[in-house]
Amino acid sequence: MPLLKIDDREIEVAAGTTVLDAALANDIEIPHYCYHPVLEIVGSCRMCMVEIEGMPKLQVSCNTRIGNALPDRKVDGMYDMVVSTKSDIVKRARENTLEFLLLNHPLDCPVCDQAGECFLQDYSFRYGRAHSRFEDEKRVRPAEDLGAGVVINQNRCIMCTRCVRFTREISGTGELFVQQRGNSTKISILEDKPLDNLLAGNVTDICPVGALLSKDYIHRNRIWNLDRQPSVCQECSVGCNVDIYHKNGKVFRTSARENLDVNGYFICDTGRYSYHDYEAVERVTSPMIRKDKKWQKISWDGAFKEIFEKLGRKKEGDSNNVAGIFSPFHTSEANFMFARLMQNVFKERAVIGTLPLPKEEEKKFPGGFRISGDCSPNWRGLTEVSSYIYEDIFNELKKQKIKLMYALDDGVNRELTQEWKDLLRNLDFLVVQTYAMTPLAERAHLLLPGAAPLEREGTLMNDSGRIQWLRPVIPLKGSSRPDWKIVMEVMNTVGKRELDYSHVNEVLAEMNERIPAYEGVTFFKLGESGMSINEEARES
Amino acid sequence: MSDFKPILTEHIHTENSHTLEFYRSVGGYSALEKVLKTMAPDDVTNEVKASNLRGRGGAGFSAGLKWGFIPKEGDKPKYLVCNADESEPGTFKDRLLMTKVPHQMLEGIIIASYAIQAQLAFVYIRGEFYSEYLILEQMIAEAKEASLLGKNILDSGYDLDVVIHRGAGAYICGEETGLLESLEGKRGWPRIKPPFPAIEGYLKSPTIVNNVETLANVPHIINRGADWFRAIGPEKGPGPKLFCISGRVKKPGVYEEPMGISLQDLIYDRAGGITKDRKLKAVFPGGSSSPILTAEETEDLKMDFSGLASVNSMLGSAGIIVMDETVNMVKACLNVARFYAHESCGQCTPCREGTSWLVKILTRLYDGNGTRRDIEMLLEITDNMGGLADFSLGSFGKTVCPFGEAVSWPVRSFIEKFENEFVACVNIGGAVV
Ligand SMILES: Cc1cc2nc3c(=O)[nH]c(=O)nc-3n(C[C@H](O)[C@H](O)[C@H](O)COP(=O)(O)O)c2cc1C
Ligand code: SF4
Ligand code: SF4
Ligand code: SF4
Ligand code: FES
Repeated sequence: MPLLKIDDREIEVAAGTTVLDAALANDIEIPHYCYHPVLEIVGSCRMCMVEIEGMPKLQVSCNTRIGNALPDRKVDGMYDMVVSTKSDIVKRARENTLEFLLLNHPLDCPVCDQAGECFLQDYSFRYGRAHSRFEDEKRVRPAEDLGAGVVINQNRCIMCTRCVRFTREISGTGELFVQQRGNSTKISILEDKPLDNLLAGNVTDICPVGALLSKDYIHRNRIWNLDRQPSVCQECSVGCNVDIYHKNGKVFRTSARENLDVNGYFICDTGRYSYHDYEAVERVTSPMIRKDKKWQKISWDGAFKEIFEKLGRKKEGDSNNVAGIFSPFHTSEANFMFARLMQNVFKERAVIGTLPLPKEEEKKFPGGFRISGDCSPNWRGLTEVSSYIYEDIFNELKKQKIKLMYALDDGVNRELTQEWKDLLRNLDFLVVQTYAMTPLAERAHLLLPGAAPLEREGTLMNDSGRIQWLRPVIPLKGSSRPDWKIVMEVMNTVGKRELDYSHVNEVLAEMNERIPAYEGVTFFKLGESGMSINEEARES
Repeated sequence: MSDFKPILTEHIHTENSHTLEFYRSVGGYSALEKVLKTMAPDDVTNEVKASNLRGRGGAGFSAGLKWGFIPKEGDKPKYLVCNADESEPGTFKDRLLMTKVPHQMLEGIIIASYAIQAQLAFVYIRGEFYSEYLILEQMIAEAKEASLLGKNILDSGYDLDVVIHRGAGAYICGEETGLLESLEGKRGWPRIKPPFPAIEGYLKSPTIVNNVETLANVPHIINRGADWFRAIGPEKGPGPKLFCISGRVKKPGVYEEPMGISLQDLIYDRAGGITKDRKLKAVFPGGSSSPILTAEETEDLKMDFSGLASVNSMLGSAGIIVMDETVNMVKACLNVARFYAHESCGQCTPCREGTSWLVKILTRLYDGNGTRRDIEMLLEITDNMGGLADFSLGSFGKTVCPFGEAVSWPVRSFIEKFENEFVACVNIGGAVV
């Protein structure tokens, strides 16, 4: 492997690696704009220039590959390449590039949404000149709506073309292009072909400056006022990694978080804007019981007592079995506790399964990005933690003439078929654990308020078997409780147990012992990027 | 030197010199026949290499060497592109070759394609050349008819098609990788190199781009041999050369002379001297991208690659633009800068921003609103986008394509060589003349 010397560091790299990739992988900063790890190299911003021994001109590090030098060509007899990222000549080149970039830039950071996470701001501070030498009038152009909730502030654009390459190479839709030439170049769309693809929002993430903005976030807050919570999208079984920016229980923005084992650098717009859907639903924040066709709040104790009376006792006559409905929207921990409830408390009375799964067509993009057709985040986790289930329990319920049901439900967008509605109407007792008034919840006798998607904590397993840590972004609302805890309390009440887990990691520890796929999984190890399922342990 | 007989333009004054019939009547396509019947592809490349034929499009790179970069292995198709974009200001030689003796160029194209084993070649012609385009279409039709193109050319088993592709009027599409993007139907933005076109060119396949005049030389090299060619002018950059003379001369036009002819001869003899017998002030020796020369620098100057390098300029496209004593250098400089600001493709930061910054400052100077600091700024800006022609470290290579240098070198040369006129603009409050 070639030996590279960057400044005073020696690094071994695979032949063919670019100087910029090698530097970034080793935490050496080389400022750059047009480079993006998954987009074609264009080498046009001229920000990443470095000095390379033996080369007469400065080189763009994003397009300079390191190879094996012939023995007699090695620098100092040992290095295949010697790079300086800090020499005076490099510093001057950066200063000059930044000066050019700022000529026509409005410097309106105080009103720019990118301020605080802007590479023009950061690099100018670190590598730029203190004063502008440009005395002429700046180019001023109006902002434009590009479609799909994205607007462009033309004055701030530095023409790195990341956005254009994104729509060509990743979404494959090609709506964006460069119009005009020279100093009049601008990012544009054809009049009748605005941005229109499910990945469009990503251009606001990859724009290194405040040119591409999401209408959803414009002027809503300043990034330094917000808290960032690394999280996982719950809108499909891919489980994209996201950062959710929030303050005082309110979410302001979701952006993609890099995870090469899951989503790469991007997310889809469904995921990006899903937090609005979670806010839009009618919330259930207190246990409620149906009395005379009306909902009445009751205490948690009252709710558990009700469950004990309706589900805890054996009755004569009809089927005495209890249907237990798992939910792929819930964490593995909640489903695991639910499985234990069914197996250890209701035992042979338990008939377990799920409602029909919400499915859509899977979408694949040229850049490799995938939106799963399974619109729930944890189907695989659910199948790992529950020993056996009916994927759609309908026929079984019908056959066994089931009258009692306990459901974990969160399919906010789920439509129930007439058949299901009829079946539910004929139940003697339906308890639904939910955060929202879903079609299923509307038909319940008792409601137990669980955590909303952004309030949950636990693990999710995506469809390729990666376990990821779902962290709570905002606090639980009202008197709702974590779902695993509610199930635990039902176990204690109905099954006369004395389980006393105070934190979800105790549930995970229990899963370590009982579920092969979760052997050795801890939140600490999951960290921000998760870990692959322990296939070996699972097979045995 | 006076016994030199034109080679490339020998027949341009004959009527119908553009037809296949005429071209054949003067021995046309005999070189192709020789190649197809007696030479292996590598023999052709080696002969051209030995001739020291250097590119006539601007950069002056050895044609044979370039052909040799085409990978021998691999199953990707190979392509040849004839660069007929000819948009360098002051340059109009390719147009003459295409309108008067197109088959000479086509013969060169077929031979070069054979050398690199291409089955498809293109002529990328600038969009404004419409009547020239029609001539080329006729040329193709005639050649196909005569089995000089298509399948099994002259019964040799070699196949080649040639497609004429019209540009849409952008200077930058003459730069070879901008051209290839345009040829692929994309915006004409030059590509970052490496990879070079010989490895990844048209549709990511090995491609050779050569200028019209470069290719027009090839049949003659094949017919008369590399030694004959090398003996014309300086051995390191020999051959016949078309010089385009424009500006303040009595007889502007294209003159074919051997490499190394003196600039004085070209201006005062061939072009009949300066208009109204005024005094020579300055010259662009190789198109508007070459640093200008003062009258003194033109004395005893040989017009070839090394002669021009010795005065820190370049042969470029051999577009000689003559400026007399009445030309205001600030205005001329502004004019050049405007052209480049208009033609910058806008891709890279220094060129996109720098070209129009230059125009803003030059306009201000010309209008009498400039300062001494502005003159210094002009020098700094040119240094930051292209740099000094002395190739000192870090002073060039700041842009994706050589356009950055193509604008900064001439602008710089105006200021360095005629600083007094720029200063006068500041002192007097605008340009006189
Ligand atoms: C800005 C710019 C414009 C150019 N325009 C032309 C042109 O119009 N015609 C041409 O033959 N070469 C032009 N070139 C040079 C080409 O890039 C390329 O070097 C040439 O076509 C190679 O052919 P040759 O080796 O036969 O000279 C231009 C280069 C630059 C940087
Ligand atoms: S809008 Fe942003 S991403 Fe697109 S070219 Fe401009 S700066 Fe780059
Ligand atoms: S692809 Fe799936 S997981 Fe990723 S952001 Fe979209 S909905 Fe969420
Ligand atoms: S130097 Fe100018 S013309 Fe060449 S690629 Fe850069 S912006 Fe385009
Ligand atoms: S990051 Fe290398 S030139 Fe833009």
